[in-house]
Amino acid sequence: MLEAQLQSLAASARQRILASATPEQLQAVRVEVLGRKGALAQISKDMANVPPQDRARIGKLLNAAKTELEAALESRENEFAAQALHARLDSEWLDVTLPATGPRPGALHPITRIQQELEELFLSMGVAVLDGPEVESEYNNFDALNIPPDHPARDMQDTFWLTDGCCLRTHTSPVQVRGMAKLGPPLRMIAPGRVFRNEEVDPSHEHTFYQLEGMMVDRNISIAHMLYFMKTLLRRIFGCEVTVRLRPGYFPFVEPGFELDIQCLICGGSGCPVCKHGGWVELMPCGLVHPNVLRMGGIDPEQWSGFAFGLGLTRLVMMRYGIDDIRLLQSGDLRFLRQF
Amino acid sequence: MKFSYNWIRELVTGLETPPPDLMRLLTLKTCECESLEPVGAHFAQVVAARVLQVEPIGGSQNRKAVVDAGPLGRRIVVCGAPNCRPGLVTAYVPPGTVLLGQRIERRVIDGVESDGMLASGAELGMNRDHEGIVESAPAGCLPDFLIDVENKSLTHRPDLWGHHGMAREVAAITGNKLIEPANPSRIPQQQAPVSVSIQDFRLCPRYSALVFHNATVQPSPLWLQYRLQSIGLNPINNIVDVTNYVMAELGQPMHAFDQDKLSGATIFIRAAGEGERITALNGESYHLTPAALVIADSSGPIALAGVIGGLDSAIGELTTRIVLESACFHAASIRRTSSRLKLRTDASMRFEKSQDPMNTVRGLARALELLEIVSPGIRLVGGLADVAAPPQPSHAIELPLDWLIRKLGRPIDAAEVLRILESLEFGVCSRQPGLFSVSVPSWRATKDISIKDDLVEEVGRMVGYDTITPLAPVVPAAPPPDNPRRRFHHAVRRITAAQGYDEVYNYSFVSEQLARRFGFHPSAHVAVANPVSSEQGLLRVSLIPGIARNIEENSRHFDSFRIFEIGFEIHKRQDTLPDEIPHLVAAIYHRGQDAGPLFEGKRLAECLMPGCELSPAEPRLFEHPSRAAQVHWRGTPLGRLFEFHPSFVESRAVALDVDLELMQRLSPAEKRYQPILRFPASAFDLSVIAPQRALAGVLQQQIASLAGPRLHQISFLRLYEGPPLPDGAKSVSFRITLAAHDRTLSSEEVSAVRDAIIEGMRLLGYDIRI
Repeated sequence: MLEAQLQSLAASARQRILASATPEQLQAVRVEVLGRKGALAQISKDMANVPPQDRARIGKLLNAAKTELEAALESRENEFAAQALHARLDSEWLDVTLPATGPRPGALHPITRIQQELEELFLSMGVAVLDGPEVESEYNNFDALNIPPDHPARDMQDTFWLTDGCCLRTHTSPVQVRGMAKLGPPLRMIAPGRVFRNEEVDPSHEHTFYQLEGMMVDRNISIAHMLYFMKTLLRRIFGCEVTVRLRPGYFPFVEPGFELDIQCLICGGSGCPVCKHGGWVELMPCGLVHPNVLRMGGIDPEQWSGFAFGLGLTRLVMMRYGIDDIRLLQSGDLRFLRQF
Repeated sequence: MKFSYNWIRELVTGLETPPPDLMRLLTLKTCECESLEPVGAHFAQVVAARVLQVEPIGGSQNRKAVVDAGPLGRRIVVCGAPNCRPGLVTAYVPPGTVLLGQRIERRVIDGVESDGMLASGAELGMNRDHEGIVESAPAGCLPDFLIDVENKSLTHRPDLWGHHGMAREVAAITGNKLIEPANPSRIPQQQAPVSVSIQDFRLCPRYSALVFHNATVQPSPLWLQYRLQSIGLNPINNIVDVTNYVMAELGQPMHAFDQDKLSGATIFIRAAGEGERITALNGESYHLTPAALVIADSSGPIALAGVIGGLDSAIGELTTRIVLESACFHAASIRRTSSRLKLRTDASMRFEKSQDPMNTVRGLARALELLEIVSPGIRLVGGLADVAAPPQPSHAIELPLDWLIRKLGRPIDAAEVLRILESLEFGVCSRQPGLFSVSVPSWRATKDISIKDDLVEEVGRMVGYDTITPLAPVVPAAPPPDNPRRRFHHAVRRITAAQGYDEVYNYSFVSEQLARRFGFHPSAHVAVANPVSSEQGLLRVSLIPGIARNIEENSRHFDSFRIFEIGFEIHKRQDTLPDEIPHLVAAIYHRGQDAGPLFEGKRLAECLMPGCELSPAEPRLFEHPSRAAQVHWRGTPLGRLFEFHPSFVESRAVALDVDLELMQRLSPAEKRYQPILRFPASAFDLSVIAPQRALAGVLQQQIASLAGPRLHQISFLRLYEGPPLPDGAKSVSFRITLAAHDRTLSSEEVSAVRDAIIEGMRLLGYDIRI
């Protein structure tokens, strides 16, 4: 009697568990069947009326039904939980093409970028990076570089003179003087920095621009060494083999002095507007350090020799990025600067 | 400086190198040739013609002329020139010729078919005369090429300021023979009719002069005018043109005086007297000081030495007697005078390069020959007046071959070195193998060449720098000396950019007006003595004005942005170079009137300086008076964080301005590890009721000092204003965490600290909500 009741209860409960459509319906089944006052609890109570010889068997049946129903309930609950999780996750759909939050990373100035790139290159070649002030003494900017007062070479650079007799450095070369005093021979140094020329500003002229001075002093430095150094440097800067040529150039702080030209990278030397149809682009002045400069730097030119060069960072930046108006670099215009 | 190819060819025997090749060779070995320009191409077609007949054309200014154009036969042309007259020999331009960029065609003018044209000097590119057709045959005028040389590349080469010097280079490069155009032996050994008195040989190492009588002042022959005009020298008259011709050929500036306008027979070269005046050939009157050197006669200055002649003693149409000056002056003195008077002339440009004193007589000899051509009947009177400083003993330069080879970085044999130096007219002798003794020709000895290093260039450029193979220097592998400042600046750049700031570069200049607007007194700035414009009058003492301008300009294109600059503030110092203090200025701009981005700026400050603190500060002119703070780090004030005053930037903009030198100094050199807490910490929250303008930072410090040694951490939780708090009050909540390294704190210990804080804060006048 009780056994039949149990069987029918279990069957109907099993049916209801499977049929339940919501966690609430399932919960109702749990309460009605497995709850403290539920049907199975009632049957356990009724066990008292079962003849003793049947009790063990029916008890076993009762436990089995309980276990089975609990498992069925849990499995159905898991199904509901999985469905709920799935529904939640689905509802949490995001449009991944929307923009990132937080500030967009800022751009470094193109001159900073190239300057850092070159500093790293030179550091890897064992070359020190030195600094010099923007305001220089006339002595460091001219005299110590073998440009005495009234030397016509002073006209080569239109100088901003200050009311106290100092000047804004017209080149990074005064750092050679500082470098020799600071490091002593042998030395390898570069000095990137801001320089000034007293000029009207137009798309290709600026009164404020950037140079990178380089100097190496050691025993028996030759033009061949300088050429090697320049070629290595340029290969890295342009990312390809470049053809260079040296031609005479006059700078009082070097002897001999050169202009280093590179074969035009746009036309390969056949002639185009960039190289003014000459096939070559003037890139940097360089030369063997003048013995007077070494001497004024406290270095004995009979013992030591060296080369020096001045790379136009601003020019290089303009070439690298195809910038046709030099004024953009100091315009502070974010429409320009954010491109880097 | 422009060089005529034909002129160079006249001076180099058998030169066949075509102009483009010559230009390339000169660029590689001598100086920078910038461009090659053909001139006078029309002279291949233009011929001499005699005007046979001139007839008026009814109702026209023009006339019909019949000319005999020699090999081209008889031609009829329409001509408007007033000087077109029968018998005149002039220049005929046949149809098909291109003149001044225009093709001359056969065409009908005023009803007459004009078969070509008769041309003026200006049309033919010989002079600037537009008044009429030329008055002689264009004999000796040929198509030519001009090589334009960058003047800067001639700064050290006084000898290259004339065609003969350039021709010497060409001859050395091509191996051809150089022609000497001057023949000083033609000057007779006689007493000179004028005497010369030089006050200071340092300022005038040599003064030479010749006197000519029976001169006729008239236009120069066309070939001479054409040659001067081509290279940019304006033809004036035959006498002046000869002085310019010699200058352009030999690099020797000359000047001609009208002898009849001079007082006395002595030429003085002396310092100007204080307040002396001279009216120069350009019509300007100059006030002189003793710093200027003058040429004077017995009554006063007749020329500014080496710069410009005087108007009163100038050659005029009626001049017949001439004193021709050829002198040498001290380079620096000429340069000073010409820059002080802002008067750069063809002469001063040459003298300031240190001209060769040996060149003066050569110049006179060449002029003698030319004057006889351009002024028939002219007569040299007497001999040479020539006063010179005693010649400087010339030192030979010792040039060891092995040293030269080490400098070049390529082998070269002694014969090659000898050949090169001799081709450039150096005197070379070699008393022992491997050692040359080199004497420098006078035209290279004034400034250019004095040491053996200078000879490396001579040999190197002639042997060809392209023959040197690059060679890696052998150097020890050692890390280079560090530059911590630069590394630090780069790190600051990286961090700031990562926080969304775009880097800008601004000028180191500010205008006086801008400085004043920001409340910086102009006298506190280092000032530029010679700015191109007032924009460059002062050197910046703050990066803020530049950044404010960036904000204003970019706000026209963007609603919000962040920018930064790393640059130097330049501060005046007495008797030494100014202080250049690196600063970071970072700014945030948001359009609109919301709370403002001050705390975004504070975030950057914390990224750069963890644990930095702000305190309210006395506002500067351009700062929002209630939103200006001083930035402290590790107990040191090192910058400002502020919102711009609305009268400086509309909308909201915030700037952080930090001294990077201080920041670098305060940056921890190294970090030490602190053990992680092994025992649980205890935390509780407290809310302090405080007046609205009480500083949360101060409250936090007060709580911290009340908490005692067990305080592990205190952090701000939230700020609340509004009901039920009374107006003018706010509630600031903090979480206080206590801990010990050796045990778990008991609840009694925690309560005791908590009570102490509450008690302490109440004593300080704050109410506490728990």
